[in-house]
Formats: sequence, C-alpha cells, structure tokens
Amino acid sequence: MMDRVEFILKASNLCKRFGGLSAVDNVSFEVKSSGVTSIIGPNGAGKSTLFNLLSGSFMPDSGTVLIGECDITSMNPEARLSVGMARSFQITNLFFDLSVIDNLRIASQALEPHSRLFLPLSKSVIALERADELLEEFGLVEARNQLAGALSHGQQRRLEIAVTLATRPKLLLLDEPTQGMSQADTQETAELIKRLGLNITVLLIEHDVDLVMDLSGTVIVMAQGRKLAEGDPNQVRSNPLVQTAYFGEELA
Amino acid sequence: MLNPRSRAIRFIELLLLTSAVVLFIVGAILGDTFFLRLATEALIFGGLAMSVDLLLGIVGLLSLGQALYFGFGAYLSAVVLKEISPSFLLAIGIVALASLVLGWVASFIALRSKGVYFALITFGLAQVAAKVVYNTRSLGASDGMMGVPILQIWTPFGSLDAGQPGTFFVITFLTIGGLYALLKYFLTTPMGSLWHAIRSNEDRLPYIGYKSKGPKQVAFVLAAVVASVSGALYPMLRGFVSPELMFFSVSGNAVVTVVLGGVGTLIGPILGSVLLTSFKSIIGTWTVHHHIVIGIIFVVIVVSAPKGLAGLLVRRFSKIRSPEGGE
Repeated sequence: MMDRVEFILKASNLCKRFGGLSAVDNVSFEVKSSGVTSIIGPNGAGKSTLFNLLSGSFMPDSGTVLIGECDITSMNPEARLSVGMARSFQITNLFFDLSVIDNLRIASQALEPHSRLFLPLSKSVIALERADELLEEFGLVEARNQLAGALSHGQQRRLEIAVTLATRPKLLLLDEPTQGMSQADTQETAELIKRLGLNITVLLIEHDVDLVMDLSGTVIVMAQGRKLAEGDPNQVRSNPLVQTAYFGEELA
Repeated sequence: MLNPRSRAIRFIELLLLTSAVVLFIVGAILGDTFFLRLATEALIFGGLAMSVDLLLGIVGLLSLGQALYFGFGAYLSAVVLKEISPSFLLAIGIVALASLVLGWVASFIALRSKGVYFALITFGLAQVAAKVVYNTRSLGASDGMMGVPILQIWTPFGSLDAGQPGTFFVITFLTIGGLYALLKYFLTTPMGSLWHAIRSNEDRLPYIGYKSKGPKQVAFVLAAVVASVSGALYPMLRGFVSPELMFFSVSGNAVVTVVLGGVGTLIGPILGSVLLTSFKSIIGTWTVHHHIVIGIIFVVIVVSAPKGLAGLLVRRFSKIRSPEGGE
C-alpha cells in the first residue's frame, strides 16, 4: 500500500473560536494512507480542539474535512465511524461497570446489520468473533470477565484502543494513548501503534516527543492554534521555529 | 457456573414461583380469598415496579411518572371491559397497542432531557394526565369508574371465571411472568447491551457507532407497555379504577419498591412488591400509621442493604463461593 501516495484525510482551513480565543486558526494538512502521523505542540496549542474537529465532537466555524473524496465536515461521530474513522480519548472513556468482553462486544456491534439488535446476542457472530480477536490481540484474555473499571490503568488504556479498533476503521485517531502509562507500558503501546500503522492510518496526538519522533512518518507541530511546521521527524527537529516554540533549549 | 448475581436472580425466580404454587394450592384447599387477592395485587404493582427498573436499573433513567402508563392501562382496560366486551384478551391487546403509541409519543417529550430533568418531565407528564382524568366527567372524574364486570376468559379448555380469586391469581402470575420473560429476552439481545452501555457511559456511544436516542426510545416504549399491561389487570381484580392510580404516590411507591427489591434485576422489584404489599397489609391491621412503620423499614433496608434484597442475596452467594476458590 505504500506506493499509493494519495491522502486519506484532508483538512482545509479549519478554524474554531471559543469566545475571543482562536483555538484552531486556519489549519490545513493532509494525512497519507497508511503509517503514523503525529500532531505535537505545547499545552494549549490547539491539538485537542483540532482532534475534536476531525472526529466530529465539535463542528468547525469554517473549513472542511475530507475522508478520501467524502466531505465529512458536518457529519456526527456515529456517521464518521461508517466512513472508517474512529477515535480514542485522552481520558479513558469506557463502559466502566461492564466487563471487558462486553465493552468489546458492544463496540463491535456496529459491524452487524441493525436488524440483529433485536435477535439474541449469539446471532451476532461477527461482533462476537471480533471481540474475542481483540481480546487476544491486546492481551486482555485473562481480564475477560473483569469489570473495565477494575482494570489497571495500563490495561484500561489498552482496552480504550481496542474498543476504538473494534469496527476496523481505516483511520484511527489516538488522543495521547500513553497518557499516565508506566515506562514499560508506554514502550509496549509504542510497539502496538507501530504495528497498527502497517495496516491502517494512525493520527496521533502525543506529549512524549521522543516517542513521536521514533514512531511517526510525518510530524505536524502546532503552537497557539496554528500549524507551525510539518515534515518528517528530522526536518521538524531541525526547524528553528519549532525549536524556539516547542523544544526550547534541550534539543537545540 | 453462574455468577453470584445470576444465582441471586435465579433464586428469587424460584422463590416466587414456589410461593405462588404453594399459595394457590393452600388457597384452593382453605377456600382463601384474602391472601390470593393480596398476592394478585402485589404482582400487579410488581409489574409497574419492573417497568421502573427497566428504565432506572438497566438504562439509567429515573422515571417519577410511571403511574401515568399504569393508570392509562387501568382506565382503558376498564372502558373496554365495560363498554365493548368483558374479554381479557381484547382488553390486554388494546391496552398493549395503545400504550405502544402513547409511550412512543411521550418518549419524544421525555427523552429531550437527561438526569434530573428527565425525572421532572416524567413527573410532570403524569401529574398533567392525572389532573385531566380527575376532571373528566365521562371517566368518572374524582370518583373514578365502578362496576367493571367480572371476566370470563376464553381458553381452549373452556371458559374461566376470573371472579375466582385463585383463577385470577394464576392469570395475573402468567401475565406478569410473561412481561418479565419479554424483558429478560431483550436483555439477551445487543439492544439490551446498548441499554447497559447507555447507563454506564452514554457519551461514549456515538464513537462506537450508535446514537443513544434510539435504544432509549425502545426502552421507554417497552416500559410504558409493561406498566400499562400491569395496570390493565387492576380493574379486573378490583372492579373499579380511580384517578389516584395516576398520582405521584403510585409512581413514588414503584421507585421505592425497586430500590427495596434491588435495582437492575427486574425480578427484585417483584419480590419487593410482594414484601411491601404484605407489610402494608399486616401492619395496617395493627395501626393506621402504617406509613411510618414502612418508612422505618425502608430506611433500615436501604442503610443495611443499599443494593436491595437482591443485593443481599448476591453478597450471600459470593461468600459461599469464595472459600472454594471461586473465580
């Protein structure tokens, strides 16, 4: 798939204001099919707002978002799922008082036709298989029947990604997936994201700059609501604008 | 194999079934009327409580106006029995269909809001309906409607006289049991899973591909049907209906029953209703201030068993398992 250079996601001139604050100010970029693209920037740079515009949590004041040829600017989140976009959350957002397997089954249910909603669960074979598959893939087999709320933080973060992947999206938006993880868990998650990037397109917001530089094909740097720079990790690292705005002295 | 929660539910199911069989046999031998009619009433209000539990315990919506549908079913049933034909199936059928429509219309109003506002809207809708009925002369206004005829129920084995307390007890048991089975079926479907998901974390639902509105609407309509069909049995038992059936005390009592029996178990509220109705009757023979005694019992149970009677059983079953190694 690497020879296809076409974009999967294209954001053009996105703007979002909250009162007097321009949270996202005229941001445009493209994400190529397959691989990992990251958005970095200091706190308050507008990364999360941009993410919310892309995933349909907020509507932009102006600008457009395309998936392939399809304009999804004003689509709601549940419709975006059907064009192959899914997102995770920075603050773990699961069905905490349901079991791990139920979280995965419910998240996989959208793979089934709506008519199966009123048939016994056992008829939803595709969803059940997908849930078991994810359980294996994310090393949660032993936690199968535990409540999601009773898992360790690292397990919860993994389940968060698994739930997001349930419907086999083409484009995965990950909002700080390693937030609050231990060093070991972070490493493991990085490996996972790398693996995911081989088959689908991953767009990542991350604070951990080293992690981003290691993982990403393309890095987009934001500051004060604007796109400051874009390029491969080395280009971005050596960009003087980026150094002053974000990395400060330590990487210079 | 079953987890403690499923075992507690199974235990209550068997307890209620056994009690019903024993009561029916003993009642038939002794020619009892009082206890059979009391048990029938407990089951009818248990059906109402079950509909509250579907919304509260499964989907996470607190309805403070479920008496609206209960009263609607009771009145419509009384009208059908008096004016059209004293037929059980006709009355239940018409009530089920009409409540489907009523619940569907009301869902658009009630589900516009969440949390406390949902509770207040359901409360308000029921108050409005109660006032309307209270002031409608053709429905008997504040006196309600009396003289609902005794049913003859057609079965392939001959006609049953519902005036026999034992017969009507069995019919009520089967009807409420049927509603319980219907709700239990829904809980085994993906729709049921979505209800649990809404209770757990409604805002996450759009990001796994579902609007929460649809599943909530299905549950709301289903709860309206369950409450209405339960209500339809009331005039068959008592021979009359009155506007009090729609008052807040009935809705509030149903919520208390659910909390007492165990939120989210569906069968717990039926057990709760049986106990609460019995308490009321027994304590009512000692003192006119039975509400005080029941209030005290309620507080004691809520403090000592916040998850209701079903919760007590779950705890008991978990304790039995753990020494053996359990999960």
